[in-house]
Amino acid sequence: MTIGRKVQSALSLCSVIFTEKGNDLPDTGVKGALSDGGLVAAIRAGDQSAMAALYDRYSGIVYAVALRVLGDSAAAEDILQEVFLSFWRRSEAFDAHRGNLGPWLTVVTRNRAIDRLRKQRPETDIEGVVLLTDHDWAQESDRARLLERVRRTLSGLPAAQKSALEMAYFEGLSHTEIAAKTGEPLGTIKARIRTGLAALRKAFAT
Amino acid sequence: MSVHEQYADDLALHALGALRGEELVVLQKHLQTCGECSRELEQLRGDTALIGVSVTGAHPPDRSRKRLLEAIAGEPRHSPVHTRRPAWGWLGWAVAAAAIVLAAISWRQNAGLQRSLAESSHEQAREMAELQRARRVVAALTSTDAMHVTLVHANTPPQPQGRTIYSPHQGTLIFVANNMPALPAQKAYELWLIPMQGAPLPAGVFKPDTHGNVSLIAPPMPNGTQAKAFAITVEPEAGSPAPTSPVMMVGTGE
Repeated sequence: MTIGRKVQSALSLCSVIFTEKGNDLPDTGVKGALSDGGLVAAIRAGDQSAMAALYDRYSGIVYAVALRVLGDSAAAEDILQEVFLSFWRRSEAFDAHRGNLGPWLTVVTRNRAIDRLRKQRPETDIEGVVLLTDHDWAQESDRARLLERVRRTLSGLPAAQKSALEMAYFEGLSHTEIAAKTGEPLGTIKARIRTGLAALRKAFAT
Repeated sequence: MSVHEQYADDLALHALGALRGEELVVLQKHLQTCGECSRELEQLRGDTALIGVSVTGAHPPDRSRKRLLEAIAGEPRHSPVHTRRPAWGWLGWAVAAAAIVLAAISWRQNAGLQRSLAESSHEQAREMAELQRARRVVAALTSTDAMHVTLVHANTPPQPQGRTIYSPHQGTLIFVANNMPALPAQKAYELWLIPMQGAPLPAGVFKPDTHGNVSLIAPPMPNGTQAKAFAITVEPEAGSPAPTSPVMMVGTGE
């Protein structure tokens, strides 16, 4: 065994000991009150309890999106692990200046799940996901309000428009596939998706 | 936001990953040059995140959290922060042992780095010495108080003499001369590089000092220009693009 591997083993042993010692580890009580930016900074410094707090904050959304796309709890759990582990390894991929963490994790999760659904190798590198948004989902109360508002907005859309959006988002269908499935012209599908997204933006513009 | 209207539908589709084929290729090409549409695409991606929120309600099993935390514990980042001290006494020994091994590794790496550093320092010192030597050569050649003495056969009357040092690869040309005759008013000497083929190339305009000495570092020549010979003519003070008087001095490569 090389010295490097011995060191690795020793450090792994230490990690296991720390983990087993604190079955309630990590204590996220303090970290749970941090903003997303504070959590990300702590994670970049290697703070495992900050990662636990991040998981507690967003695992529900991440898991629910993956489950909705894949329809399989085990597969959704795998995606959940992939997304958070990727973030632990490369949190620098998230640019806090360009948007908030909740929406970013949601998009990353959805893309990964679609890749899995289409039985592709994961094409979505977290570093390739760039989005702009003002929505901050850090607080539980904010997330609850957001959920209610999104559901209300989506339910207010014409059924065909909502259906086109959901087929693209949750099933990963292209506009030509949606057109073929619904028997609608391509132009109609394009317009429905565009106006559906515009309605969502408008609902959250104020 | 103002975007190119013809791309508005496709931007929305692309934000959802629903655009494929030729239309996707065309849009991606446009995005390479359009900042407004690129920004709109990023905002549309942010909008799509809202659709994901609509499905919240399911909760991952508890084992997922434990599985993740065990995984990240096995992959410590740069400077893991442990907020509690372990109660087991022997744990300190394990950490200490790991620290000793790490120190040994660091020492070995440090020794390697020291060797690399020493080699780099030696190389740097050698290059500095060469640079200083080159600077001394150039300074001596171009110094206004430099004596330019050409030794010739005894009893030979003073003759104008010039020497060019030319590197085609670097395009650098240095010219030194002495015993150059005084010039008529509003005239100057012009040095010419005579290439293997084609017309002479102007290589610098100069006037000798009161002792007839010249030190000229010519403007950079086109790299790789091979010289068949060098020549000097008398030209107007501003120089000429082509020789306008008979060649006064000439020399070919040695």
